[in-house]
Amino acid sequence: MELEDEIFNDGLPKAYYKQNDNGQYVLETDAPWAEKVSCALIIAGNRARLEEIRKAVLAGQQSPLCYYMEMRQMEPGMLAKAAGIVVFRVRRHLRPEIFAKLKPSVLYRYTKALRVTMEELKTVPNN
Amino acid sequence: MTTELTANGKPFVHHHGAHCETAVTSALFGNQGLDVSEPMIFGIGSGIFFGYLPMVKLVHLQVTAFRNKPGSVFRKAAKRLGANFVIKTYRDPQKGMDELRQVLKAGHIVGLATNLYWLPYVSERHRHNFGGHNIIVLRETEAGFRISDPTFDHPMDCSADGLERARFVPGPMNPRGFMYYTKSVQPHPDLRQACIKGMKNSCGLMLRIPLPIFGVRGMRFLAKKIIKSPDKLGFQEACRSLAGTVRWVEETGTGGAGFRYMYAAFMQEAAELFGSDELARLSRDMTAIGDTWREFSVTAARIIKQRDKEAETFAKAGGLILKCADREEAFFKELQKVVKKLEA
Repeated sequence: MELEDEIFNDGLPKAYYKQNDNGQYVLETDAPWAEKVSCALIIAGNRARLEEIRKAVLAGQQSPLCYYMEMRQMEPGMLAKAAGIVVFRVRRHLRPEIFAKLKPSVLYRYTKALRVTMEELKTVPNN
Repeated sequence: MTTELTANGKPFVHHHGAHCETAVTSALFGNQGLDVSEPMIFGIGSGIFFGYLPMVKLVHLQVTAFRNKPGSVFRKAAKRLGANFVIKTYRDPQKGMDELRQVLKAGHIVGLATNLYWLPYVSERHRHNFGGHNIIVLRETEAGFRISDPTFDHPMDCSADGLERARFVPGPMNPRGFMYYTKSVQPHPDLRQACIKGMKNSCGLMLRIPLPIFGVRGMRFLAKKIIKSPDKLGFQEACRSLAGTVRWVEETGTGGAGFRYMYAAFMQEAAELFGSDELARLSRDMTAIGDTWREFSVTAARIIKQRDKEAETFAKAGGLILKCADREEAFFKELQKVVKKLEA
């Protein structure tokens, strides 16, 4: 329940159509229960996946690029378009040993596409 | 409801709306002196639709669209109401931002399509990588732009950098700086003719697209997928994709039940406009369809929460969508007949 309350108490309520007693449609801002449940599930899933990738990066199985791609809700195809690098190269760069050897010019393109700084891109947050 | 000033000092009233594009269109017309409500724009612009797009994935989940593609509602509504409007896209972000500034200086308020993820002011639950969110830019400020986002209840500030990013983020649903504004509108348009056109167009879209993923056929396709999903994907993954569908039904600014309540509100207004009992009856039908969609999302939520496992199954959720498909098919066939009898 905590997550649902947390993400829905953000001060940005949405409006929903609802019938009043006379059968007229009016707007009100109570989110339906089903929406809260599914939204919480999706966000919990996203957070869990990000956390998993962070651990994998620290364990040396994935490159930090993978973490930032997931953080920006992208996939290799989207990241390739955004950075102007071919998809199969982006997929290769998800492997840590290949990522470690990248030239600064390639890394610069990724920083532009993902909106992170060069220092951030080389590591992931530690906790 | 808050009042703001536009670039040339005219007051602009910010209304809280259910859906981004219809509310933006309604506000653009309202600013030019033509008061049309949000559901009315939705109906006239033939917003109601269904499409299940298994090939487009956003954040690992398929897209289920309950309305027509972004941009078309404004175009259709503006055409049918006889407004003089401009729609533009850009390849070059710099050029797009420059022209936005020029148009703002000329005293217009401008509608933009943006990517929801990159807008700086949205919170985590709204933050997903979807490139069809519409906002209004009111004026330029020192820190960036003053923005009226009708999905939220008060106007926002947005940095110029963040706005540029949101307008031009590359990807499968790149908005390409999609920008639109009205130059002038007719003060007394032929609403009845516009409504008839909108309804006819909607019937065609829901019933006659010969592809299995659009209209009522698309609903049946989705229903079959949902029924099979636990065997194919496993329970956890099936729950996630079900939650994804529910989010498209309830969350993405639909006004509840996948725009069906909004369409019912439109039918109500149209019934008053034409003085037609048949349209009022159809509005009640649409409300019942909306209730079925709501029932589907509640069932889905109960599956996710694993309450009453015997009764709440994927087969039941899929069955509810099949029921929706049958009822909507009947509804739009009926609407086709009723529209023919209406006089402009």
